[in-house]
Amino acid sequence: MANPADRSLAVDPGVAGELARSALATARRFAAGATMWCLAPAWLEHARHVAVEFVHPVIVGKRALPAVAVDDPDPITALRALARTGDVLVAVSDRDSRPVIDAMRRAPAWGLTSLWIGAGPRPPTGVADHLLWLDQGEGSARHDGALVLMYHVLWELTHVCFEHPGLLTASASANEPCVDEVACITCSDEGRPAEVVSAPIADVAAVRSARGLETVDTTLVGDVVAGDLVLVHAGTAIAVLEETRP
Amino acid sequence: MSEAADFLYPFLEADEHDAAALLDDLEQSAEAKAHASAALRATTLHESRAAIDEAAADMSDRFNRGGRLLAFGNGGSATDASSIAALFTHPPHGYALAARALADDPSVLTALGNDVGFDLVFSRQVIAHGRAGDIALGYSTSGNSRNLLAAFAEAAGRGLLTIGLAGYDGGDMARSEHVQHCLVVRSDSVHRIQEVQAALGYALWATIQDELTSAIQHG
Repeated sequence: MANPADRSLAVDPGVAGELARSALATARRFAAGATMWCLAPAWLEHARHVAVEFVHPVIVGKRALPAVAVDDPDPITALRALARTGDVLVAVSDRDSRPVIDAMRRAPAWGLTSLWIGAGPRPPTGVADHLLWLDQGEGSARHDGALVLMYHVLWELTHVCFEHPGLLTASASANEPCVDEVACITCSDEGRPAEVVSAPIADVAAVRSARGLETVDTTLVGDVVAGDLVLVHAGTAIAVLEETRP
Repeated sequence: MSEAADFLYPFLEADEHDAAALLDDLEQSAEAKAHASAALRATTLHESRAAIDEAAADMSDRFNRGGRLLAFGNGGSATDASSIAALFTHPPHGYALAARALADDPSVLTALGNDVGFDLVFSRQVIAHGRAGDIALGYSTSGNSRNLLAAFAEAAGRGLLTIGLAGYDGGDMARSEHVQHCLVVRSDSVHRIQEVQAALGYALWATIQDELTSAIQHG
Protein backbone atom coordinates (compact mmCIF):
# COMPACT_ATOMS: atom_id res chain seq x y z
CA MET A 1 0.00 0.00 0.00
CA ALA A 2 1.28 3.46 -0.85
CA ASN A 3 2.31 5.39 2.22
CA PRO A 4 0.53 8.76 2.32
CA ALA A 5 3.63 10.21 4.00
CA ASP A 6 5.57 9.62 0.79
CA ARG A 7 3.85 12.44 -1.07
CA SER A 8 5.83 15.58 -1.78
CA LEU A 9 6.01 18.12 1.02
CA ALA A 10 6.81 21.06 -1.25
CA VAL A 11 4.34 23.86 -0.73
CA ASP A 12 1.45 24.39 -3.10
CA PRO A 13 1.65 27.17 -5.71
CA GLY A 14 0.87 30.51 -4.11
CA VAL A 15 1.65 29.41 -0.56
CA ALA A 16 5.25 30.64 -0.68
CA GLY A 17 4.12 34.15 -1.64
CA GLU A 18 1.50 34.16 1.10
CA LEU A 19 4.11 32.96 3.62
CA ALA A 20 6.29 35.91 2.58
CA ARG A 21 3.47 38.44 3.08
CA SER A 22 2.44 36.78 6.36
CA ALA A 23 5.97 36.96 7.72
CA LEU A 24 6.32 40.67 6.90
CA ALA A 25 2.93 41.44 8.45
CA THR A 26 3.82 39.40 11.56
CA ALA A 27 7.24 41.05 11.93
CA ARG A 28 5.66 44.50 11.63
CA ARG A 29 3.15 43.67 14.34
CA PHE A 30 5.84 42.26 16.65
CA ALA A 31 7.98 45.34 16.02
CA ALA A 32 5.02 47.47 17.18
CA GLY A 33 4.65 45.43 20.38
CA ALA A 34 2.20 42.69 19.43
CA THR A 35 1.53 39.42 21.20
CA MET A 36 0.84 36.39 18.99
CA TRP A 37 -2.15 34.27 20.08
CA CYS A 38 -2.03 30.67 18.83
CA LEU A 39 -5.33 28.85 18.48
CA ALA A 40 -5.78 25.19 17.50
CA PRO A 41 -8.79 23.95 19.49
CA ALA A 42 -8.77 20.40 18.09
CA TRP A 43 -5.04 20.19 17.42
CA LEU A 44 -3.59 21.74 20.57
CA GLU A 45 -0.09 20.43 19.84
CA HIS A 46 0.16 22.83 16.92
CA ALA A 47 -0.82 25.87 19.01
CA ARG A 48 1.86 24.90 21.51
CA HIS A 49 4.45 24.29 18.80
CA VAL A 50 3.87 27.71 17.21
CA ALA A 51 4.12 29.38 20.62
CA VAL A 52 7.32 27.61 21.71
CA GLU A 53 8.88 28.32 18.31
CA PHE A 54 8.54 32.09 18.78
CA VAL A 55 9.13 32.23 22.56
CA HIS A 56 12.23 30.03 22.61
CA PRO A 57 14.03 30.17 19.25
CA VAL A 58 16.13 27.14 18.40
CA ILE A 59 18.69 29.38 16.70
CA VAL A 60 20.89 31.10 19.28
CA GLY A 61 20.79 34.88 19.01
CA LYS A 62 17.28 35.18 17.57
CA ARG A 63 15.03 37.28 19.75
CA ALA A 64 12.39 35.72 21.98
CA LEU A 65 8.95 36.93 20.96
CA PRO A 66 5.67 36.88 22.92
CA ALA A 67 3.53 34.04 21.59
CA VAL A 68 0.92 32.15 23.61
CA ALA A 69 -0.97 28.90 23.01
CA VAL A 70 -4.62 29.50 23.87
CA ASP A 71 -5.80 26.22 25.41
CA ASP A 72 -8.87 27.59 27.17
CA PRO A 73 -11.99 25.42 26.65
CA ASP A 74 -13.79 28.65 25.68
CA PRO A 75 -11.15 30.29 23.48
CA ILE A 76 -13.40 33.11 22.24
CA THR A 77 -14.05 34.37 25.77
CA ALA A 78 -10.35 34.01 26.57
CA LEU A 79 -9.21 35.84 23.43
CA ARG A 80 -11.77 38.60 23.91
CA ALA A 81 -10.20 39.32 27.30
CA LEU A 82 -6.57 38.76 26.33
CA ALA A 83 -6.08 40.09 22.80
CA ARG A 84 -5.45 43.77 22.13
CA THR A 85 -5.56 45.87 19.00
CA GLY A 86 -2.40 45.25 17.01
CA ASP A 87 -1.94 41.65 18.16
CA VAL A 88 -1.64 38.64 15.85
CA LEU A 89 -3.94 35.61 15.76
CA VAL A 90 -2.55 32.38 14.29
CA ALA A 91 -4.99 29.49 13.96
CA VAL A 92 -4.17 25.92 12.91
CA SER A 93 -7.21 23.82 12.06
CA ASP A 94 -9.35 22.44 9.28
CA ARG A 95 -11.92 24.79 7.76
CA ASP A 96 -14.80 23.46 9.88
CA SER A 97 -13.48 24.43 13.33
CA ARG A 98 -16.29 26.55 14.83
CA PRO A 99 -14.09 28.34 17.40
CA VAL A 100 -11.55 29.23 14.70
CA ILE A 101 -14.24 30.49 12.31
CA ASP A 102 -15.69 32.58 15.15
CA ALA A 103 -12.28 33.98 16.14
CA MET A 104 -11.46 34.83 12.50
CA ARG A 105 -14.73 36.73 12.10
CA ARG A 106 -14.13 38.72 15.28
CA ALA A 107 -10.46 39.45 14.57
CA PRO A 108 -11.12 42.65 12.56
CA ALA A 109 -13.31 44.06 15.35
CA TRP A 110 -10.63 43.21 17.91
CA GLY A 111 -7.95 44.81 15.72
CA LEU A 112 -6.05 41.55 15.15
CA THR A 113 -4.04 40.49 12.12
CA SER A 114 -5.22 36.95 11.40
CA LEU A 115 -3.35 33.99 9.89
CA TRP A 116 -5.05 30.64 9.32
CA ILE A 117 -2.95 27.54 8.63
CA GLY A 118 -4.64 24.34 7.50
CA ALA A 119 -5.09 21.64 4.87
CA GLY A 120 -7.87 20.12 2.80
CA PRO A 121 -10.97 21.96 1.59
CA ARG A 122 -10.42 25.73 1.84
CA PRO A 123 -12.27 28.20 4.04
CA PRO A 124 -14.12 31.01 2.23
CA THR A 125 -11.90 33.68 0.69
CA GLY A 126 -11.32 36.71 2.90
CA VAL A 127 -12.15 35.11 6.26
CA ALA A 128 -8.52 35.53 7.39
CA ASP A 129 -6.00 38.25 6.49
CA HIS A 130 -3.58 35.51 5.46
CA LEU A 131 -4.61 31.99 4.46
CA LEU A 132 -1.71 29.51 4.52
CA TRP A 133 -3.45 26.50 3.08
CA LEU A 134 -2.40 23.12 1.68
CA ASP A 135 -4.89 21.65 -0.76
CA GLN A 136 -3.47 18.14 -0.26
CA GLY A 137 -3.15 15.98 2.82
CA GLU A 138 -6.42 16.63 4.63
CA GLY A 139 -6.12 13.38 6.60
CA SER A 140 -2.36 13.36 7.19
CA ALA A 141 -1.18 17.00 7.35
CA ARG A 142 -1.94 17.29 11.07
CA HIS A 143 0.59 14.57 11.84
CA ASP A 144 3.11 14.18 9.00
CA GLY A 145 4.98 17.48 9.29
CA ALA A 146 3.19 19.38 6.50
CA LEU A 147 1.64 21.96 8.86
CA VAL A 148 4.79 22.11 11.00
CA LEU A 149 6.70 23.13 7.85
CA MET A 150 4.27 26.02 7.32
CA TYR A 151 4.81 27.62 10.71
CA HIS A 152 8.51 26.78 10.82
CA VAL A 153 8.96 28.75 7.58
CA LEU A 154 6.74 31.54 8.96
CA TRP A 155 9.09 31.77 11.96
CA GLU A 156 12.22 31.68 9.79
CA LEU A 157 10.95 34.38 7.41
CA THR A 158 9.67 36.58 10.25
CA HIS A 159 13.20 36.69 11.66
CA VAL A 160 14.60 37.56 8.22
CA CYS A 161 12.27 40.57 8.27
CA PHE A 162 13.85 41.78 11.54
CA GLU A 163 17.05 42.29 9.55
CA HIS A 164 15.18 44.99 7.59
CA PRO A 165 14.05 47.43 10.30
CA GLY A 166 13.27 50.16 7.78
CA LEU A 167 10.47 47.99 6.38
CA LEU A 168 8.88 47.31 9.75
CA THR A 169 7.82 50.83 10.68
CA ALA A 170 4.26 52.14 10.56
CA SER A 171 5.22 54.54 7.77
CA ALA A 172 6.58 51.64 5.68
CA SER A 173 3.28 49.76 5.92
CA ALA A 174 1.30 52.96 5.27
CA ASN A 175 3.07 53.36 1.91
CA GLU A 176 1.51 50.15 0.67
CA PRO A 177 -2.00 49.71 -0.65
CA CYS A 178 -4.63 48.79 1.89
CA VAL A 179 -6.02 45.36 1.09
CA ASP A 180 -8.62 45.14 3.85
CA GLU A 181 -11.47 47.37 2.80
CA VAL A 182 -13.51 47.11 5.98
CA ALA A 183 -10.96 46.92 8.81
CA CYS A 184 -8.02 49.09 7.84
CA ILE A 185 -7.66 51.98 10.26
CA THR A 186 -5.75 54.01 7.69
CA CYS A 187 -8.74 53.91 5.35
CA SER A 188 -11.88 55.96 5.54
CA ASP A 189 -14.59 55.29 8.05
CA GLU A 190 -16.66 53.09 5.72
CA GLY A 191 -18.24 50.25 7.68
CA ARG A 192 -15.66 49.43 10.31
CA PRO A 193 -16.43 46.12 12.11
CA ALA A 194 -17.09 46.26 15.83
CA GLU A 195 -18.30 43.86 18.52
CA VAL A 196 -21.15 44.87 20.79
CA VAL A 197 -19.94 45.02 24.40
CA SER A 198 -23.28 45.72 26.06
CA ALA A 199 -26.86 45.81 24.82
CA PRO A 200 -28.12 49.28 23.90
CA ILE A 201 -29.80 51.57 26.40
CA ALA A 202 -31.93 54.25 24.74
CA ASP A 203 -30.47 53.24 21.34
CA VAL A 204 -26.85 53.75 22.39
CA ALA A 205 -24.49 50.78 22.80
CA ALA A 206 -20.86 50.32 23.73
CA VAL A 207 -18.90 48.51 21.01
CA ARG A 208 -15.31 47.41 20.64
CA SER A 209 -13.54 48.13 17.37
CA ALA A 210 -9.92 48.15 16.25
CA ARG A 211 -9.85 51.74 17.58
CA GLY A 212 -10.96 50.67 21.07
CA LEU A 213 -14.18 51.20 22.97
CA GLU A 214 -16.75 53.43 21.28
CA THR A 215 -20.38 54.30 21.81
CA VAL A 216 -22.61 54.05 18.76
CA ASP A 217 -26.19 54.80 17.88
CA THR A 218 -28.13 51.56 17.31
CA THR A 219 -31.38 52.99 15.96
CA LEU A 220 -30.77 51.37 12.56
CA VAL A 221 -29.95 47.89 13.86
CA GLY A 222 -32.42 47.52 16.75
CA ASP A 223 -31.95 44.97 19.50
CA VAL A 224 -28.32 43.92 19.28
CA VAL A 225 -26.80 41.96 22.15
CA ALA A 226 -23.32 41.59 23.60
CA GLY A 227 -21.13 39.62 21.20
CA ASP A 228 -22.93 40.70 18.02
CA LEU A 229 -20.72 42.03 15.26
CA VAL A 230 -21.88 45.25 13.63
CA LEU A 231 -20.59 47.64 11.00
CA VAL A 232 -20.01 51.15 12.32
CA HIS A 233 -20.11 54.28 10.18
CA ALA A 234 -19.93 57.82 11.52
CA GLY A 235 -20.90 56.84 15.05
CA THR A 236 -23.82 54.68 13.93
CA ALA A 237 -24.18 50.90 13.77
CA ILE A 238 -25.47 50.49 10.21
CA ALA A 239 -25.71 46.69 9.93
CA VAL A 240 -25.48 43.48 11.95
CA LEU A 241 -23.21 40.74 10.60
CA GLU A 242 -25.76 37.96 10.99
CA GLU A 243 -23.44 35.02 10.36
CA THR A 244 -21.81 35.49 13.76
CA ARG A 245 -25.06 34.72 15.60
CA PRO A 246 -25.09 31.13 16.81
CA MET B 1 26.19 57.46 0.29
CA SER B 2 28.56 55.40 -1.80
CA GLU B 3 28.18 51.64 -1.84
CA ALA B 4 31.85 51.29 -0.96
CA ALA B 5 31.09 52.82 2.43
CA ASP B 6 28.00 50.70 3.14
CA PHE B 7 29.90 48.34 5.42
CA LEU B 8 30.53 51.26 7.78
CA TYR B 9 26.80 51.66 8.32
CA PRO B 10 25.30 48.38 9.50
CA PHE B 11 21.89 50.00 10.01
CA LEU B 12 21.72 51.23 6.45
CA GLU B 13 18.75 48.93 5.85
CA ALA B 14 16.78 51.11 8.25
CA ASP B 15 16.55 53.40 5.22
CA GLU B 16 14.74 50.75 3.16
CA HIS B 17 11.25 51.73 2.09
CA ASP B 18 10.32 49.29 -0.68
CA ALA B 19 9.20 45.91 0.60
CA ALA B 20 8.86 44.34 -2.87
CA ALA B 21 12.47 43.12 -3.05
CA LEU B 22 12.27 41.65 0.44
CA LEU B 23 8.99 39.88 -0.37
CA ASP B 24 10.57 38.36 -3.48
CA ASP B 25 13.50 37.10 -1.40
CA LEU B 26 11.18 35.70 1.26
CA GLU B 27 9.07 33.88 -1.31
CA GLN B 28 12.12 32.26 -2.89
CA SER B 29 13.39 31.33 0.56
CA ALA B 30 10.04 29.72 1.45
CA GLU B 31 10.13 27.64 -1.73
CA ALA B 32 13.74 26.59 -1.10
CA LYS B 33 12.97 25.54 2.48
CA ALA B 34 9.91 23.56 1.38
CA HIS B 35 11.95 21.76 -1.26
CA ALA B 36 14.77 21.06 1.20
CA SER B 37 12.23 19.58 3.62
CA ALA B 38 10.68 17.44 0.88
CA ALA B 39 14.07 16.18 -0.29
CA LEU B 40 15.18 15.33 3.25
CA ARG B 41 11.90 13.57 3.86
CA ALA B 42 12.16 11.48 0.70
CA THR B 43 15.78 10.51 1.42
CA THR B 44 15.11 9.71 5.08
CA LEU B 45 11.97 7.62 4.41
CA HIS B 46 13.82 5.73 1.67
CA GLU B 47 16.98 5.05 3.68
CA SER B 48 15.01 4.23 6.86
CA ARG B 49 12.52 1.88 5.21
CA ALA B 50 13.96 -1.30 6.75
CA ALA B 51 14.38 0.34 10.17
CA ILE B 52 10.79 1.65 10.05
CA ASP B 53 9.48 -1.80 9.19
CA GLU B 54 11.47 -3.45 12.00
CA ALA B 55 10.39 -0.90 14.61
CA ALA B 56 6.77 -1.05 13.44
CA ALA B 57 6.76 -4.86 13.63
CA ASP B 58 8.01 -4.73 17.23
CA MET B 59 5.48 -2.01 18.09
CA SER B 60 2.62 -3.99 16.49
CA ASP B 61 3.63 -7.01 18.55
CA ARG B 62 3.43 -4.90 21.73
CA PHE B 63 0.09 -3.35 20.78
CA ASN B 64 -1.30 -6.82 19.97
CA ARG B 65 -0.48 -7.91 23.50
CA GLY B 66 -2.18 -4.86 25.04
CA GLY B 67 0.87 -2.62 25.29
CA ARG B 68 0.53 1.16 25.46
CA LEU B 69 2.69 3.84 23.86
CA LEU B 70 4.34 6.51 26.05
CA ALA B 71 5.69 9.37 23.90
CA PHE B 72 7.96 12.18 25.09
CA GLY B 73 10.25 15.02 24.04
CA ASN B 74 11.14 18.62 24.96
CA GLY B 75 9.81 21.86 23.43
CA GLY B 76 8.73 21.38 19.83
CA SER B 77 9.56 17.70 20.24
CA ALA B 78 7.06 17.54 23.12
CA THR B 79 4.42 18.66 20.64
CA ASP B 80 5.63 15.97 18.21
CA ALA B 81 5.05 13.45 21.00
CA SER B 82 1.55 14.86 21.55
CA SER B 83 0.91 14.64 17.81
CA ILE B 84 1.82 10.96 17.50
CA ALA B 85 -0.15 10.09 20.66
CA ALA B 86 -3.22 11.76 19.12
CA LEU B 87 -2.59 9.96 15.82
CA PHE B 88 -2.72 6.56 17.58
CA THR B 89 -5.74 7.36 19.78
CA HIS B 90 -7.70 9.35 17.13
CA PRO B 91 -6.59 7.74 13.86
CA PRO B 92 -7.99 9.25 10.62
CA HIS B 93 -8.68 5.62 9.63
CA GLY B 94 -7.91 2.16 10.98
CA TYR B 95 -7.62 1.06 14.60
CA ALA B 96 -7.40 3.28 17.68
CA LEU B 97 -4.45 2.31 19.90
CA ALA B 98 -3.45 3.36 23.42
CA ALA B 99 -0.91 6.19 23.44
CA ARG B 100 -0.13 9.14 25.73
CA ALA B 101 2.32 12.04 25.70
CA LEU B 102 4.26 12.57 28.93
CA ALA B 103 4.74 16.34 28.58
CA ASP B 104 1.04 17.17 28.30
CA ASP B 105 0.35 17.69 32.00
CA PRO B 106 2.10 20.76 33.43
CA SER B 107 1.24 19.76 37.00
CA VAL B 108 3.14 16.49 36.67
CA LEU B 109 6.03 18.13 34.78
CA THR B 110 6.48 20.96 37.27
CA ALA B 111 6.11 18.65 40.28
CA LEU B 112 8.85 16.37 38.97
CA GLY B 113 11.02 19.21 37.67
CA ASN B 114 10.84 21.01 40.99
CA ASP B 115 11.26 18.01 43.28
CA VAL B 116 13.63 15.63 41.50
CA GLY B 117 15.06 17.71 38.64
CA PHE B 118 14.29 18.15 34.99
CA ASP B 119 16.55 15.30 33.91
CA LEU B 120 14.10 12.89 35.54
CA VAL B 121 10.73 14.31 34.39
CA PHE B 122 10.19 11.47 31.92
CA SER B 123 11.96 8.58 33.68
CA ARG B 124 9.89 9.09 36.84
CA GLN B 125 6.75 8.87 34.72
CA VAL B 126 8.08 5.69 33.09
CA ILE B 127 8.44 4.27 36.62
CA ALA B 128 4.84 5.28 37.42
CA HIS B 129 3.16 4.23 34.15
CA GLY B 130 5.45 1.85 32.27
CA ARG B 131 4.78 -1.89 32.24
CA ALA B 132 6.73 -4.62 30.54
CA GLY B 133 5.19 -4.79 27.06
CA ASP B 134 4.63 -1.04 26.74
CA ILE B 135 6.49 1.18 24.26
CA ALA B 136 8.68 4.21 25.06
CA LEU B 137 9.03 6.57 22.07
CA GLY B 138 11.21 9.69 22.42
CA TYR B 139 11.86 12.63 20.07
CA SER B 140 15.07 14.67 20.28
CA THR B 141 16.55 16.70 17.44
CA SER B 142 20.06 16.53 18.95
CA GLY B 143 19.75 12.95 20.17
CA ASN B 144 21.41 14.14 23.38
CA SER B 145 18.56 15.22 25.69
CA ARG B 146 19.46 13.91 29.12
CA ASN B 147 15.89 13.44 30.28
CA LEU B 148 15.23 11.24 27.23
CA LEU B 149 18.34 9.14 27.81
CA ALA B 150 17.31 8.66 31.45
CA ALA B 151 13.80 7.66 30.38
CA PHE B 152 15.12 5.16 27.82
CA ALA B 153 17.41 3.56 30.43
CA GLU B 154 14.52 3.25 32.87
CA ALA B 155 12.18 1.90 30.17
CA ALA B 156 14.66 -0.69 28.87
CA GLY B 157 15.25 -1.92 32.42
CA ARG B 158 11.53 -2.43 32.88
CA GLY B 159 10.98 -4.39 29.67
CA LEU B 160 9.51 -1.62 27.54
CA LEU B 161 10.27 -1.49 23.82
CA THR B 162 12.39 1.64 23.27
CA ILE B 163 12.30 3.74 20.09
CA GLY B 164 14.22 6.97 19.55
CA LEU B 165 13.87 9.61 16.84
CA ALA B 166 16.99 11.76 16.57
CA GLY B 167 18.64 14.26 14.23
CA TYR B 168 22.17 15.31 13.23
CA ASP B 169 24.25 12.10 13.56
CA GLY B 170 21.87 10.52 16.08
CA GLY B 171 23.85 11.76 19.08
CA ASP B 172 23.93 9.75 22.31
CA MET B 173 20.59 8.13 21.48
CA ALA B 174 22.10 6.36 18.46
CA ARG B 175 24.91 5.03 20.66
CA SER B 176 22.76 4.10 23.67
CA GLU B 177 22.36 0.41 24.44
CA HIS B 178 18.96 1.32 25.90
CA VAL B 179 17.49 2.52 22.57
CA GLN B 180 16.51 -0.57 20.59
CA HIS B 181 15.43 1.26 17.41
CA CYS B 182 16.94 4.66 16.65
CA LEU B 183 15.67 6.45 13.53
CA VAL B 184 17.94 9.34 12.54
CA VAL B 185 17.11 12.34 10.32
CA ARG B 186 20.54 13.28 9.00
CA SER B 187 20.40 17.06 8.87
CA ASP B 188 21.77 19.93 10.92
CA SER B 189 18.62 22.07 10.74
CA VAL B 190 16.38 21.66 13.78
CA HIS B 191 13.37 22.76 11.74
CA ARG B 192 13.91 20.31 8.87
CA ILE B 193 14.70 17.53 11.38
CA GLN B 194 11.40 18.07 13.21
CA GLU B 195 9.39 18.15 9.99
CA VAL B 196 10.87 14.85 8.86
CA GLN B 197 10.64 13.26 12.33
CA ALA B 198 6.89 13.91 12.10
CA ALA B 199 6.89 12.12 8.73
CA LEU B 200 8.80 9.20 10.27
CA GLY B 201 6.26 8.98 13.09
CA TYR B 202 3.46 9.01 10.54
CA ALA B 203 5.19 6.25 8.57
CA LEU B 204 5.52 4.15 11.75
CA TRP B 205 1.81 4.60 12.46
CA ALA B 206 0.79 3.78 8.85
CA THR B 207 2.96 0.65 8.82
CA ILE B 208 1.50 -0.53 12.13
CA GLN B 209 -2.03 0.03 10.81
CA ASP B 210 -1.18 -2.06 7.71
CA GLU B 211 0.18 -4.86 9.88
CA LEU B 212 -2.86 -4.87 12.17
CA THR B 213 -5.21 -4.87 9.18
CA SER B 214 -3.33 -7.73 7.59
CA ALA B 215 -3.18 -9.72 10.86
CA ILE B 216 -6.94 -9.37 11.38
CA GLN B 217 -7.81 -10.24 7.77
CA HIS B 218 -5.65 -13.36 7.83
CA GLY B 219 -6.54 -14.43 11.36
